[in-house]
Amino acid sequence: MKEIKLKKLDVSCFEEDLDNGLKIVLLPFLNKKNYFISYGTYFGADITNFTVNKKEVKVPDGIAHFLEHKMFEQPDGKDPFTFFSESGTSANASTSYEYTHYICYGNKEFSKNLRFLLQFVNKPFYTDENVEKEKGIIAEELKMYEDIPDFQLEMRLRENVFHKSPRRIDIGGSVKEIKKITKEDLYLCYDNFYTPSNMFVLIVGNFDVDEALNIIKEELQTVKNKKLPNIKLPKEELSVLKEKDKIYGNVKVDKLGLAIKIDTTPLKMDDITLDLYLNMITTILFGTSSEFRQRVRNEKLLNNFYMEWETYRNYHIFYMMASTTDTNKLLEEIDFEFNDLVISEEAFERMKKVWIANEVKMIDNVDATVSNLFDDLIKYRKIIPNKIDLIRNLSLEEINKLVKKIDFTNRSVVEMVAKEE
Amino acid sequence: MEYIKKDLGSYNLHIIKTDKFKTITVRVVFHSPIVKEEITLRNILCDMFMQSSKNYDSKRKLTIKAQDLYATTIQTTNNRLGNYIMTNFYLTALNDKYTEEGNFAESIKFLSEVIFNPDVENEKFKRDKLDIVKTIALNNINSVKEDASNYSLMRMAESYSKDSPISYRMIGYLDDLEKINEENLYDYYLKMLEKDFVDIFVVGDIKEEEITSLIKQNFKFKTVKRKKVSYIIDSPVRKRRLFAKETIDNSQSKIAICNVTTDLTPYERYYPLTLYNVILGGGSDSKLFKNVREENSLCYTISSVTNKLDNLLIIMAGIDKISYKKCLELIESNMLDMKKGKFSEKDIKIAKEYYVTALDEMLESESNIIDNYLMMEILNTDDIETKREKMQNVSKKDIIKVAKKVKMDTVFCLEGVKDEGN
Repeated sequence: MKEIKLKKLDVSCFEEDLDNGLKIVLLPFLNKKNYFISYGTYFGADITNFTVNKKEVKVPDGIAHFLEHKMFEQPDGKDPFTFFSESGTSANASTSYEYTHYICYGNKEFSKNLRFLLQFVNKPFYTDENVEKEKGIIAEELKMYEDIPDFQLEMRLRENVFHKSPRRIDIGGSVKEIKKITKEDLYLCYDNFYTPSNMFVLIVGNFDVDEALNIIKEELQTVKNKKLPNIKLPKEELSVLKEKDKIYGNVKVDKLGLAIKIDTTPLKMDDITLDLYLNMITTILFGTSSEFRQRVRNEKLLNNFYMEWETYRNYHIFYMMASTTDTNKLLEEIDFEFNDLVISEEAFERMKKVWIANEVKMIDNVDATVSNLFDDLIKYRKIIPNKIDLIRNLSLEEINKLVKKIDFTNRSVVEMVAKEE
Repeated sequence: MEYIKKDLGSYNLHIIKTDKFKTITVRVVFHSPIVKEEITLRNILCDMFMQSSKNYDSKRKLTIKAQDLYATTIQTTNNRLGNYIMTNFYLTALNDKYTEEGNFAESIKFLSEVIFNPDVENEKFKRDKLDIVKTIALNNINSVKEDASNYSLMRMAESYSKDSPISYRMIGYLDDLEKINEENLYDYYLKMLEKDFVDIFVVGDIKEEEITSLIKQNFKFKTVKRKKVSYIIDSPVRKRRLFAKETIDNSQSKIAICNVTTDLTPYERYYPLTLYNVILGGGSDSKLFKNVREENSLCYTISSVTNKLDNLLIIMAGIDKISYKKCLELIESNMLDMKKGKFSEKDIKIAKEYYVTALDEMLESESNIIDNYLMMEILNTDDIETKREKMQNVSKKDIIKVAKKVKMDTVFCLEGVKDEGN
């Protein structure tokens, strides 16, 4: 077991890869009472095309999410939620484009709950009947999201920015697609992607490292690894599919969505540093302390605002969504920011200070630490122990060089306006 | 953890010493009986605090100042608690150990600046800034239907009783918004400073003497103390159940049910009712989750919550409109089962475990610690150890007795009428 000191944070993280490839990351906090356990796989909504035994397979969209729901079905009929409840422990699961993970969190019966979590995720039980039953529940889940205007805007942006990527499709799939799912599809995905070298265990909080490691080994060391199928993640073109679009929604205030697609290959920078720089650029340009926010606020253009980066293959996509009284004017203001863009030293140094302070604050809280480590595990498949140093070492010269290399005009814009009543 | 309460004349200072956190959290709570026509004013006032102050005359300058204090954060919120409106200012700052000497004191000074030194001239807020804040409020009020769940809860409460504070929309009202100007907002600000009850909480690795003098220096009120009205709302029950409906151009329908609890003793309100709710619809192990979702595949979300100070228990679900009748029947039969005692000792044990876990969990979060002491202050609730003990002793009989006091009153359906096949 490798001990990795998280620099400047007075805590240590322990990492080990079992022989079968399972990745284990443990971060004990002695002064906390609660714990959080995640057991996950790098199987998410991205994967619907793959080759098994030389045969090309296409499973229905939304299958990773469907499988997540069905994981809670056990051969002995016992409900995992009930098991965790007995010690007042909460359980949940979630699916993204890149992963599915199962979590439990509480402050009692750590070892029993850890063992059970690993066991139940290793025991799929699908029948024609229980698969059918889930379709009604998931259909309602999909409809719940479909009714949300922000969600509609995001989906249209995704459809327009990508040509072939699975990111064009909702993580949950569609009612039509999930209706096709059979128990055979689920077993096929489970058997191929819930395999040790494609999975990880992450634990943060109050627990004993040796005890945790022993339980994980007892439960998972003997699980045989299976070679991953050949996954087909469609190549993407650099261009966006559609540059401008307009949709109608149940809104009283219009919305503007924008997605910038950036090919990172020519930028020649390692993933972590690149992510830090890109985030820094957009935070300085559009964050709460930016001149942009001040300006659009004073012009009464902006109501709420949301931004996020996403990675797909060699692309980084920057999403921005806002509700606004004037989509055209807001777009002009955004464009203005990208004109002759130079990052100022004052803003750059201030944001570095803020980010470092936030890394320290995060350690106060189990949930925040979990989400930070989890992000690392998903994005880089490892923990980044020296983030504060990395932030400190970011250079103004470098960021301004980078800014010059990026084409911010390669983008897709969607406006959402009120339906006529 | 050590708790010290100090009466500083016009307000109480609550000091909670713990070395668990690297940050120090301060919460200043203004509370006063809620008045419907003042909700919008309060919202606008809260946003004005965060828009600018005398020395930091733009939102950007305020933000940059907070960032310079090692990412200190200040937030304001307004929420209703029974008959009261609570206006909270939260400050979270890193302990000086992790920043530099004097950073926390400077942060407190900054919070004081935000509250006591607003961007005012000639006893008026500034017109241009007020316009910005009002426009945002206007857009938010107009967008209220975008969150269908929340909207259905609002409409349910309005159907239940137009006059009770329960039905007040915390997002505010267009009529009231129009009436707000630079002068009357300033008058209202002065009134809040003078008439509201104030409590200040500080949690973290702090020294009693130091923090007391720091707070005294920075927070000076001339509050006029009055007699408090009760926090708890006495909610009436109608003789015949009310069914209300509204349509929306969505694919999913939302069902929101208002159940009234009558004649609860304080013990029943804080203990057996809590267990009743956990068993009925509190989590993914509850009766409603299992029977309506898992067994009958009727929904993805279904849950119940207790609004203890309102004497209400609310049930909500997102369903297909064709399942409305069946869903309602299932909810009723599950509530009837609770009355008949059709739940096991194991169910009770599990519900108690949840509660105890939540109590322990509370100690891991500064804001939850403050909530606990705030409730003890204003409602005289028990301390953590008493809570733990009393909850362990709740019997099945107690829960059944409470179940009989829960009456379904108003059923609201926000019917999604969007064409199928999309």
